[in-house]
Amino acid sequence: MKTEHYFLTFFILTVAQILVCNYLNLSHYITLSFLPLLVLCIPIRYGTIPSMLVAFAAGLSVDIFSEGIIGLNALALVPVAALRIPIIRAVFGTGLLARGEDLSVEKHGLLKISTAILISQSIFLVLYIWADGAGMRTFAFNLLKFLCSLGAGFVLSIFILFSIFSNIKESKWK
Amino acid sequence: MPKNKRILSVIFSAAVFLVLEIAAFAMLNNSGRFQSLWFSRIGHKVMANVWGNSESIKDYFGLKEKNQELMVKNFQLSEELRAYKEKYGLPDVTASDDDFSYLLAGIIKISRNSQHNYIIIDKGYEDGVTPQSGLITDKGVVGIINSVESHYSFALSLMNTAVSVSARIGRDGGTGPLVWDGKRSNGATLKEIPLHFKFEVGDTVWTSGYSAIFPKDIPLGIIDGSKIINGAINECSVTLFEDFKSLKYVTVVTNTGRDEILSLENSDIIED
Repeated sequence: MKTEHYFLTFFILTVAQILVCNYLNLSHYITLSFLPLLVLCIPIRYGTIPSMLVAFAAGLSVDIFSEGIIGLNALALVPVAALRIPIIRAVFGTGLLARGEDLSVEKHGLLKISTAILISQSIFLVLYIWADGAGMRTFAFNLLKFLCSLGAGFVLSIFILFSIFSNIKESKWK
Repeated sequence: MPKNKRILSVIFSAAVFLVLEIAAFAMLNNSGRFQSLWFSRIGHKVMANVWGNSESIKDYFGLKEKNQELMVKNFQLSEELRAYKEKYGLPDVTASDDDFSYLLAGIIKISRNSQHNYIIIDKGYEDGVTPQSGLITDKGVVGIINSVESHYSFALSLMNTAVSVSARIGRDGGTGPLVWDGKRSNGATLKEIPLHFKFEVGDTVWTSGYSAIFPKDIPLGIIDGSKIINGAINECSVTLFEDFKSLKYVTVVTNTGRDEILSLENSDIIED
């Protein structure tokens, strides 16, 4: 996916996330978010700092436009961006980073992509649920919310990945 | 990427990360009521820990001063108690003899590793200390002043094989010289106890008062064993109440009637 296409997609998906937050409230136990996937799919050639800035901006936009608590998504999403390169290195190996190759289901396999998404979603959800609860909720509630949100977010992320990000012909090689 | 450049990049990334997270926390603090309370609670907890720890550290470094104050206060109270007991004739009066004066002193130096240990205290003849004054604590005898300077005095410690103190078993038991056993920092030997005096392990040993240095009835230690020497006398092993390892302050006890006693001892009547 070309860079300009990626950022256009990123923008559209951020708007979609705002709509999801505003109009798709499934349960108290589910926080439906695919923002970690968007951060994970930022082109590899963009380093950690630009990724963190983009993540912060995206998180803040969702916070502002979805009548939520301002700062919550930004707080949880920046660490995902900070750990994006280590996650990719751990799951896909150093080859992908050396080649500056972007993530692709067809090229890297569903298992690896799913693992990376689960790790990113987990980091995001742990921070989100922890900050959202503000120490007022029980551990059992938080755990249940985490598991439900992880499952729902993972399914949604895989759907988006297949329908929007997956295109082997456009994957970049250097 | 060169190593230095990589380190700089990591530091810069960490700085950006911190700035963004702090910004997010600040916004969260201002926008969420529960989050605001949460931050406030965390802040209080952190501050309590920080202040608690800093107070602990401050208290620790102030312990020396506090100890000094407590020792002075303790000494003053002991003096008052002694005066009351003397006035109303109460029993168990420690050092009830009017002929003794007392002075609190700090230990400047103490040796513990030889057979001839000594103590240097921060009081001298300008404070009223004289040679052959005794050093005691509330746990027993510590030593005897050997020489005196204007502001400091040198004393032979009880942990010195040349020092002996006249001691008695129980309130009216056998009397003999108590000397350091040369092994333990709280061990002593009570010698020359006649066989006809009965005692048991655990009996308390007191100063006898048969010397011009120490008042009578200062508790010294307890008997932890005994043996018969040459079938004629008993020798008792004593565990002292005072452990010289933790000694910081002493009370200098001076017999104000000592000159008269010495004069009597040296008079013609005795010599004849």
